[in-house]
Amino acid sequence: MNSNRYKILIIEDETNIRNFVKTILHANGYQVLEAGSSREGMMMYLSHTPDCLILDLGLPDGDGIDFITQVRKQAGVPILVLSARTNESDKVEALDAGANDYVTKPFGTAELLARVRAALRIYQHGSMQNLETDGKFRVNDLVIDFESRQVMLGENEIHLTQTEYNIAALLARHAGKVMTYSEIIREVWRWSDAGSVKKLQVNMANIRKKMGVKPGDNRYISNELGVGYRMNTDG
Amino acid sequence: MKIQHSRIKDILFTIAVLCAFFVISLAITELFHTPALTTAVFTLAVFLVALLTQSYVYGILASLISVLAVNFAFTFPYFKFNFSIPENLVSAVIMLVITCMTSALTTKLKQQEKLKAETEKEKMRANLLRAISHDLRTPLTAIYGSSSAILENFESLTTEDLKQMAEGIREDSEWLIGMVENLLSVTRIDNQGVKLVKSPVVLEELIDSVLVRFSKRFPSQEVDVEMPEEFISIPMDAVLITQVIVNMLENAVRHAKGMTMLKLRVFTEGEKVVFEIIDNGCGIAKERLGGIFTGYLENRDVPADHQKHNMGIGLSVCASIIKAHDGEICAENRTEGGCCFRFSLNMEEDGNEQ
Repeated sequence: MNSNRYKILIIEDETNIRNFVKTILHANGYQVLEAGSSREGMMMYLSHTPDCLILDLGLPDGDGIDFITQVRKQAGVPILVLSARTNESDKVEALDAGANDYVTKPFGTAELLARVRAALRIYQHGSMQNLETDGKFRVNDLVIDFESRQVMLGENEIHLTQTEYNIAALLARHAGKVMTYSEIIREVWRWSDAGSVKKLQVNMANIRKKMGVKPGDNRYISNELGVGYRMNTDG
Repeated sequence: MKIQHSRIKDILFTIAVLCAFFVISLAITELFHTPALTTAVFTLAVFLVALLTQSYVYGILASLISVLAVNFAFTFPYFKFNFSIPENLVSAVIMLVITCMTSALTTKLKQQEKLKAETEKEKMRANLLRAISHDLRTPLTAIYGSSSAILENFESLTTEDLKQMAEGIREDSEWLIGMVENLLSVTRIDNQGVKLVKSPVVLEELIDSVLVRFSKRFPSQEVDVEMPEEFISIPMDAVLITQVIVNMLENAVRHAKGMTMLKLRVFTEGEKVVFEIIDNGCGIAKERLGGIFTGYLENRDVPADHQKHNMGIGLSVCASIIKAHDGEICAENRTEGGCCFRFSLNMEEDGNEQ
């Protein structure tokens, strides 16, 4: 498939930011559509059906979260949110509403492009990318076999508990997307209480230990402090 | 509710002090067979009351009661009020004046102290603003100049020139971003009365975020990490503490000349988690060590070398963040060479999760 044909819609009211995002996306062979307000954005979205949305959360005419909810009612198109640093709860809210990922302002071009690529890959392959025809998930030397519930690191099998496997598999099924703490807890335990986040954190610590990763090494899973976890897709 | 509580405390305190000094006066009179010292003793009592209570009312009340007490117990006729003897009357008036004045003086003293603290704070704020505006000008000038130069002379510039100027713009913007992050952190803790929102953060995940963020900016700088194996959760504002560690690592990269080793060491000490950022660079000059966490707001005569000032503000921000977390922070030179920045945070207590 030719990536030149990908259509990306930027909805951002700051002309300068829109311009530079447009320039780098153009330079990397994407088709770019732009909108300066949430109303214009919705019109563009409905008439051009882009492959990916880049949405600023602080639009003057309406709440970005509402926009996400509205789009999510009908379509699974990847949504990338641009957010200001100050508040983790904004990010969590956007992710829970259905956004795929967020980039914190100020951001660099490399970061933005990497996120766009990951988001598009999700769109192209459905929710299970990095998934070969044999029903296995792969990133670097990590392989998760969903059928036999086996997790391999290179040649060696690593033994995860039920819960640990469920978490890893859930992240792998949504690879490239940040899963918030509450999303993971809902999927893995079905219910939550005051100690849930800690339980999740302890399980994640065990998974990291079994995968043998040290802090600063996010080969497989990156952690977004205060927000959630993401299974990586890039090699 | 709280005001009432402190009022009761003040009243009780006043009564207690007066009773105690009454007894002391009795003892002294008994001991030396003369009531001459009582006035002085009661003046001391009133002074204490005025100094240690919240309102001047107690001081004046105490002075009135003292006058009555002296008249009653320690002047002829003993244990009887008598204001008809002019001698007693004069002594009573003089004592009332002395005690009232003491009370007024101490009240004034307290007000002045409060005022002084406020002006100090105001001065800090003004200094900070001035320092920042000054420091922002340098990179902004460079960015403005470079971009104008590109726009106005686009045709005549070589690709090499363009690249160089764009690099300059990026570098200065990065510096500005760092500055703004620090300022944001300050506003996040400087709101008076607003308590920090702490949530339990896993130590390993914190260090992971720090290293990922740090290596994005300094990809070639290795950081040795030494930390406990066990699962440790610390209540904190993660964004702010990340900022502290990144600031300290960045500080080492920028200022520890000749550094070949940069180490991040974390260990537990009782109920505390201690973080150390250690380098083997040139160390810190003795005269700077004392004010290293406050220096940004003093010594503004130094010519505008903005790189230096940025880290100045970085360290001041570190100190106020750690203070807001009720932690401790310090910096010292190591005997082996280089320096060590250290701060500590309180660990999560059991049964107090979330």
